[in-house]
Amino acid sequence: MTTRIEKTIIALATLILLIAFVNRLYTRGGPYFQLTQTIVDHVGPNKHETRDALVLLPKIRPLLPRGAQVACFRPINGAQNYDTPNFLTAIGQLPDQKVQPSFFASLDTPPASLVDYVIAVRDPFTHPAYHIVAEFPEGRLYKVAR
Amino acid sequence: MKDALFVAGILFLIFPGLVLWRLPLIARVDLTARLAIAFAGGVAIVTLLLYVYNFAHIPWTRTTVGTPLIALGVFGLRGANLKWDSRGRLSSALILVFVALTIYGVITARETCGDLIFFWGPKGQRFHYAGKIDADFLGYNHYYLMHYDYPPLLPLAYAWASLVAHQFSWWGALFFTPVALLAMAFAFRGLAAPAVGEERARWYAVLLAAIVGYGFAIGMVGGAAEPPLLLFEIIAIAALTFAGDQRDAQILAAIALAAVALTKVEGAAFVAITVVAYLIVSRKAVRTALVALPVVALLGSWILFCWRHNLLDSYGRAKSAMHLELFRRTLTETLHQASYDVGWVPWIATLAPLAISRRLRRSLLPLIVAAGTMASTLFFYLHADNPWWWIEASAQRVLLTPLVCLVVASAAASE
Repeated sequence: MTTRIEKTIIALATLILLIAFVNRLYTRGGPYFQLTQTIVDHVGPNKHETRDALVLLPKIRPLLPRGAQVACFRPINGAQNYDTPNFLTAIGQLPDQKVQPSFFASLDTPPASLVDYVIAVRDPFTHPAYHIVAEFPEGRLYKVAR
Repeated sequence: MKDALFVAGILFLIFPGLVLWRLPLIARVDLTARLAIAFAGGVAIVTLLLYVYNFAHIPWTRTTVGTPLIALGVFGLRGANLKWDSRGRLSSALILVFVALTIYGVITARETCGDLIFFWGPKGQRFHYAGKIDADFLGYNHYYLMHYDYPPLLPLAYAWASLVAHQFSWWGALFFTPVALLAMAFAFRGLAAPAVGEERARWYAVLLAAIVGYGFAIGMVGGAAEPPLLLFEIIAIAALTFAGDQRDAQILAAIALAAVALTKVEGAAFVAITVVAYLIVSRKAVRTALVALPVVALLGSWILFCWRHNLLDSYGRAKSAMHLELFRRTLTETLHQASYDVGWVPWIATLAPLAISRRLRRSLLPLIVAAGTMASTLFFYLHADNPWWWIEASAQRVLLTPLVCLVVASAAASE
């Protein structure tokens, strides 16, 4: 037989954990009964660092040729920025392309080494070798001119 | 549709896992536990199959992979008892409450782990498209942050589900989490019942579901490797604690430990500690060696594969310097995270029954493993120059391992 004291401890702990669990889910923000657009929509009270990329990349995917070299980042002052979350997110979202780090689209990169496409999350990207191909609320697609 | 097929691919793994029902120990436990153990077994089997095919250069197709899985399932099902046991309905209902909350959590994107987006998912997807463990992808130097040598069980399980769905599903991957939670609670209940009595097993199974369900939510493990890791860990520890002297339990533990080692890097530490604990408790060197044999073979082959392709990274990190001067703060920060923002309730709930018990000897194995994994967690943290962010990001996840060991220990020791 499970002792009464054991049952009390387990019941109390289960109840506390149940309340804490519900509270944890609640504090991650509403809406509570709607399907979400991305898998990170409610992971915290603030917008997740990868959310824009997760919305943007499926829109851009059909515009990219298979095997294209791509960089994905949020530019800072128009320039490339080593942006790990968007870089790694793009690797998973663009399985048919070769995703490269942002410095493959820097001003110092030799023209032959520049990536074919740059996906600039949220902010515009400025580089003399690239021109804009498509624009979405969450970012822009640029193509290199060779 | 692809999400549903992906989830169906994961759930299908129960079928090949039915082969474990041929073990008399498993055949005797209740149906929910048998299904749970079959699920874990199926994940281990499909991983092993894809792993072997990779080295044998056999293509991964629905036919080449699906046929042996179906054959194993048919073999396991022959003469199986499918009678539903209605006892323990209240504990099942309570476990399902935590599983339902976890399903809600993943379906509304409240529990997603960044590691799913950053490397577990991309690796599974890449392995599926490449039809192999793609060493060129893993070893690409700019993908260093995806961890070259992390073991392949979860990406291979995702590759299987992608094979079923014809593509990878991010939502489908998240569903692994509630399925693993349900399986670990039912598997624990079934394995514990013959040793500690059905009533006690039910109570502790509910506690396990509460701790792990909440731990998953606060630790944000959706789609990451912790759910399968903890499932295999709980099966291994429960089998060795409650039936460690039986051959079938040793076979089950050997399979589960091999799966643990192939799921996460820290799984290797867990296995080493468990094997030492089993040697201390059983005092049977040959038996212990046999339990460890599949781990040695599989993990050894993975490390060899990584070494051959120049992928070794995490497995060689213990060679780096240890920062003992950070011990006090590391311990403090880890203990702070261990509160789980709920006043250390999970620890209190598992340690209090132990404190009032007079049968601690029965729980020696899980207690050694709990202490050992706690120590190994600190050991890993002390190898970083600045572990504070790492502790904040991971402690609530990795401390679930000692916590589930303590649940097993409490159940085993209770009067």
